[in-house]
Amino acid sequence: MKEKFARWDILFLQYLKRDWKKIIVWVLGLGLFSAAYVPAFEEIAKGKGLLGMYETLQNPAMISMVGPTPIETATDYTLGAMYSHEMLLFCGLFAMIIAVLHVIGHTRKEEDLGLTELVRSFQVGRQANALATIIETIFINVLLALFIGGVMLSFGVDTITPEGSFLFGASVGMAGVIGAGIALVMAQIMSTSSGATGSALGIIGLLYIVRAGTDVSNVDLSMINPLGWTYLTYPFTENNWVLLIFALIFSIIVVIIAFALEGARDMGAGYLPQREGRERAKKSLLSVHGLFIKINKGVIIGWLIAFVIMGAAYGSIYGDMQTFLESNEMMKQMFMHSGVSIEESFTSTIMMVMIGLVSILPIAIVNKLFSEESRLHLSQLYATKVTRSQFYWTSIGLAIIAGLVGILLAAGALGGTAITAMGDSSTMNTFGFLAAGYNFLPSVLFFTGLAALALGWAPKLGKVVYVYLGYSFVLNYFGGILDLPEWFSKTAIQSWIPQMPMEDFDVPIFITITVISIAFMVIGYLGYSRRDMIEGA
Amino acid sequence: MTEIVKVQGLQKKFGKFQALSDVTFSVDAGEVVGFIGPNGAGKSTTIRTLLGIIKRDAGNVEIFGKDVWKDSLEIHKRISYVPGDVSLWGSLTGGEIIDLFLKLHGGGDKQKRDYLIKRFELDPKKKAKGYSKGNRQKVGLIAALSVDSDLYIFDEPTSGLDPLMEAIFQEEVEKIKKSGKAILLSSHILSEVERLADKVVIIRQGEIVETGTLDELRHLARSTVTLATEGDVTEMATVNGVFDFKQKDNQATFSADNQYLNDILMEASKLGVKKFESVPPTLEDLFMRHYEG
Repeated sequence: MKEKFARWDILFLQYLKRDWKKIIVWVLGLGLFSAAYVPAFEEIAKGKGLLGMYETLQNPAMISMVGPTPIETATDYTLGAMYSHEMLLFCGLFAMIIAVLHVIGHTRKEEDLGLTELVRSFQVGRQANALATIIETIFINVLLALFIGGVMLSFGVDTITPEGSFLFGASVGMAGVIGAGIALVMAQIMSTSSGATGSALGIIGLLYIVRAGTDVSNVDLSMINPLGWTYLTYPFTENNWVLLIFALIFSIIVVIIAFALEGARDMGAGYLPQREGRERAKKSLLSVHGLFIKINKGVIIGWLIAFVIMGAAYGSIYGDMQTFLESNEMMKQMFMHSGVSIEESFTSTIMMVMIGLVSILPIAIVNKLFSEESRLHLSQLYATKVTRSQFYWTSIGLAIIAGLVGILLAAGALGGTAITAMGDSSTMNTFGFLAAGYNFLPSVLFFTGLAALALGWAPKLGKVVYVYLGYSFVLNYFGGILDLPEWFSKTAIQSWIPQMPMEDFDVPIFITITVISIAFMVIGYLGYSRRDMIEGA
Repeated sequence: MTEIVKVQGLQKKFGKFQALSDVTFSVDAGEVVGFIGPNGAGKSTTIRTLLGIIKRDAGNVEIFGKDVWKDSLEIHKRISYVPGDVSLWGSLTGGEIIDLFLKLHGGGDKQKRDYLIKRFELDPKKKAKGYSKGNRQKVGLIAALSVDSDLYIFDEPTSGLDPLMEAIFQEEVEKIKKSGKAILLSSHILSEVERLADKVVIIRQGEIVETGTLDELRHLARSTVTLATEGDVTEMATVNGVFDFKQKDNQATFSADNQYLNDILMEASKLGVKKFESVPPTLEDLFMRHYEG
């Protein structure tokens, strides 16, 4: 025992010291995300809000996303029931993901970096590090559970009971512990930290998809899914604590398996052999755009999938839009405008919001060029005949294409599902949705142009573009409710563009913003071709 | 001889920090120039200026008679470069990265590539994130050595390589030197520079403090002499050009100024020489002389 775990307590305290800032952000951030939406839900619940939401969430598409509720009639649907129904699964997922990243960061990652080697040369047990990490993660999740319970209770809402609040918190915390266990196992099996992270997140993704299927077909089957032992506790309604005991037993078994696996392997080794890669490059890699596509591939595919899911999710509520929007004062203000059909006015607003999100991808691609630069990945390429203009315009071109495809997928998925959901009563066609989407193309170009400008003249400010995007996003989303002065809402670039199909397409505005954006890109190029490359210095 | 690299009065500031204050040297065809200096002296900054990655504040810097900033592309067609810390995309394999570098350089000899992969014992199927420092360095070296260039710039190329691989690198550099190429070799490994370089450029705090062939530089420095005489060797201590005199019985060790070597020999022969050994200064001695005050 001593040989294995000697001095784990020192490592544990060391981790708390090293991570205290991270722990605060983790507990506060995820805790508030999980617990602090109670007032917002109170808003939604006003009037016939609960009824409308209940109806909407009975839709199989919604169940597959957020999970089921045990409530059988709309009149029994309380605020607490709605809160746990909509929030618990996602909060649990986030808790799991963060725990995975944390555990692998302290185990396999440190092994990769050679830190473990150093630590083990002292009088430290062979598995002390893993024990310290898992105990730290459990400790953090206990804090998180208590914090969530406390915050929820503090709002003093009738249906948010003490028992339910702490069960909600405990379910989220338990999800984190399950994630930690899975991560610890994968950290033993895989031989690199990226492999471990990828496979652990992959398992969680798989559990999520499997439960989406079983939730819709037969909820009892979701009960044999470790993920199910968190959100199916049904806080505020059935308060099913027993499931947490299953989860706890599962976690203990998983952790024991992880320790057994770790005990039987050499440091730095894994159980799965590393996959052999190609000896020679494929033709498609051998150019600047080939390389840039390759290094951006993960991000591009990830976001494009997210756009489709987002479009489909919003599209699926078109079927009972009337009930959904009329049920609630806030929703009405956000999405309804007089003189147009409810579907059209919803489309106008949601499209602006979605295309705002689509802008993230082009910004990420443009910013990537600078992160490659500062990571010294391009050092050897600067010394070839490849021009800076090639680097720059390839990135910009890729960003613009990604924006175009992003709009297509987001607007297309929204339109496709919406038209299916509306059935015969459909008032809009696919072209209408796509036109409404591409109407916002200048705003995507504008953000791309801003990122390009930063890349050329002040590359460290590249991240600030996200801040402006976030600002515009909030302004667009809540602009309808807050009744802001004209000049203030115009500080978000999208506000200049008419909202189709509710308003008419405006050619001069479309062209003006496009031209300004292209000008930004050209000015950015002038800076990029002139400035010193930043190389670590 | 053709002048390949010409650097005159190069200056560069980063903000208020004067990284290079006066850098002047040249590299000719068929010549290996060793570029040495401690960390932070400005070696990499000079090299990055040569590559057109950063822009100089003053001075005249040319490669192949062309300006390194304005005509960088023309120049880049005919040069190869290996940074001191080769940083690679973790998700690509070594083989893929080498192919990419060859393609982007233009040209590149596939057979040479395979030959070098074998010589450097690199596993090209492994993803770059699994490579050690030395293996990443090999990727950079193989890519640079597989293409036919007129100027090779190596910035501490062998950092992280084991001595066997270092020796292979040196052999390969000798080969390209023999075919008349110019090579600028910045290095900390002085034995490597000593073996390969025809000319040495020493930089300190952004300034070139010494340039010349090793022989020339050696001449400026002192040799270490061990002398045993029949008479009393203590008398040698006062001879002109003798420094750091140390005596053990009738044998003395001292450093001798090369320009007084004749006088020293004359005095020694008066005492009856039993043993005389002279060791020329190593590059390390030269280097230390510049940096120890």
